[in-house]
Amino acid sequence: MQWLDAVIQGVLLGGMYAQYALGMALMFGVMRIVNIAHGDVMILLSLIAVSLAGVLPFGNLGLIVVIVPIAVVIGWILQKFILNKVVGADPLPSLIATFGLSIALQNFMLELWSADTRSLPNSDIASASFQIGSIYVGLLPVIVLITALVLTGGLDAVLRFSRFGRGLRAAAADTEAAAMTGVDPKRIYAIATAIAVGILGLAAVFAALRATVSPSDGSAQLIYAFEAVIIGGMGSVWGAFLGAMVLGVAQAIGLRIDPGLGILFGHLVFLAVLATRPEGIMARKK
Amino acid sequence: MTSKTHHTEVVRATRSSRIAMTLCLALLLALIAMPWWASSGNIRWAIELSCYIAIAQMWNLLAGYAGLVSVGQQAFIGVSGYLLFVLAQNFGVNPFVAVLLSLIAPAILAVPTYLLLRRLDGPYFAIGTWVVAEAVRLATSNIDYVNAGAGLTLRVMTQYSQHEREVGFVLLCALLLLTTIGGSYWLLRSRIGLALTAMRDNPVAAASQGVNVGRLRFYIFIAAAVGTGFAGAIYYMAQLRITPSAGFDPFWGSMSIFIVMVGGIGAIEGVLIGALIYFLADRLFGEFGSAYLIVLGLLTLVIALYARGGVWGLLQKWGDHAWFPVRRKLIVEENP
Repeated sequence: MQWLDAVIQGVLLGGMYAQYALGMALMFGVMRIVNIAHGDVMILLSLIAVSLAGVLPFGNLGLIVVIVPIAVVIGWILQKFILNKVVGADPLPSLIATFGLSIALQNFMLELWSADTRSLPNSDIASASFQIGSIYVGLLPVIVLITALVLTGGLDAVLRFSRFGRGLRAAAADTEAAAMTGVDPKRIYAIATAIAVGILGLAAVFAALRATVSPSDGSAQLIYAFEAVIIGGMGSVWGAFLGAMVLGVAQAIGLRIDPGLGILFGHLVFLAVLATRPEGIMARKK
Repeated sequence: MTSKTHHTEVVRATRSSRIAMTLCLALLLALIAMPWWASSGNIRWAIELSCYIAIAQMWNLLAGYAGLVSVGQQAFIGVSGYLLFVLAQNFGVNPFVAVLLSLIAPAILAVPTYLLLRRLDGPYFAIGTWVVAEAVRLATSNIDYVNAGAGLTLRVMTQYSQHEREVGFVLLCALLLLTTIGGSYWLLRSRIGLALTAMRDNPVAAASQGVNVGRLRFYIFIAAAVGTGFAGAIYYMAQLRITPSAGFDPFWGSMSIFIVMVGGIGAIEGVLIGALIYFLADRLFGEFGSAYLIVLGLLTLVIALYARGGVWGLLQKWGDHAWFPVRRKLIVEENP
């Protein structure tokens, strides 16, 4: 029963990681860029949400309505002033640029919000739970997981069926050929980043509701998102979702064995997948 | 038809390189003589600067030539530091000898790390190295034999007088600089250097010219791990204390990236300039804490966006005065 509980909690935790991972999978898929400041942007949005919650009388749902547009704007700025300048075959410029941004952002948040951990004020949703058999399940983690499912399904549908999705897949396969057929890569990139950071806005509110956030937490979130994407298999949003579940379950089981082992177990599962199935568990056959 | 005889010669040294070489040797001798002319405080600074230069040059070799961007070099700093502490403290090995023995740890760690991570695409490789470093850090914090999260102290150093310690440290630092900077220079001027430069400019073209890109990358990754570990062992030996959070601090990665990018990637000169800039900035502005780090981060960002050659790249626009030239210049003279 204890292990079943660990698996359930792990899947619920995976819902959170899936929200971090979706944006990363999308951006890497289309631009071959990994934004090292991915986690830091999420933490920035969380801290903005916490600060706004003290001023705006909207409640948590209202907060999401405010934060997601802010996230989209941040994504647009990121794309326009940084990422567009470093898209290319050489991975070095984009890595270094976003690495510099990550350090600057982390320390900027430290200046503005200090090193304290913060969270959104406790609400009914955050503390509500229900019981299945002898296992308690929190309502909020279930909402997070369902949101992650809807986001993944929605993103997959957009990529498959919409005009934008076709353009994106074309640009990802061959940027120049796509440009010749009338796809504007810059526009596709901008929309992809806006969606990726927009999802982070949603994740940011959930993260601040679920637990505490502090300015230096970003790198850990980046690593979890990355592990989820690689475990699941690059280039598939459902892969990122599944990878997040595997990572969450690995961490939850490790945590049950010894409180110091949770995150380490996640890393070990990631390395094991890399050793045995480097294309990821959901990768499409080439 | 008259045939002319030609006298050909390959010139590799320049006037600037001769001056630089003399200066480097003089500085190295001055470093070795430090215990007899400098204060302990200055010697500590010299040890620190030597470690920065070595770690940054190893990162430069990886990112600037082999095309392997790593943000997890702290893994190698930590493991060699820890092996040194264990050998010296628990097995009674002479600590100055243990520094050299501890290099086996980064070499052993580098092999599976590379073999696993080479499957990842460029930017994903970088974050993969970070995961390895984090995994090693977390594993170390869970091993009671090395005192878990509390870390180790190098008490055996008390058996040496301060003067003896300082002599040992400056000799180790001289060896460190000779192997990392001198070794890189030697490597870049050799046949392998040609392959590396070709690989830096275009890995696919280099492979088509017969360069075994995969194997060369593997060797460079191991060499860089050992060089980084060497600096790490010396650094933590001078600190007399190591903990998982210090030895495996991601800040080591940030520091190398900053030094190499600001100084100028793909050039030994860049590393020396960058290390000096970082060292001075740290002394002057380190007290400003996070404000100072915001500036460092933004500077790295701006350089990646607008001036990828760093300071050395800008200097070179005013004329080619390489300190460590790796080019071969063919001079053909017609004999009368």
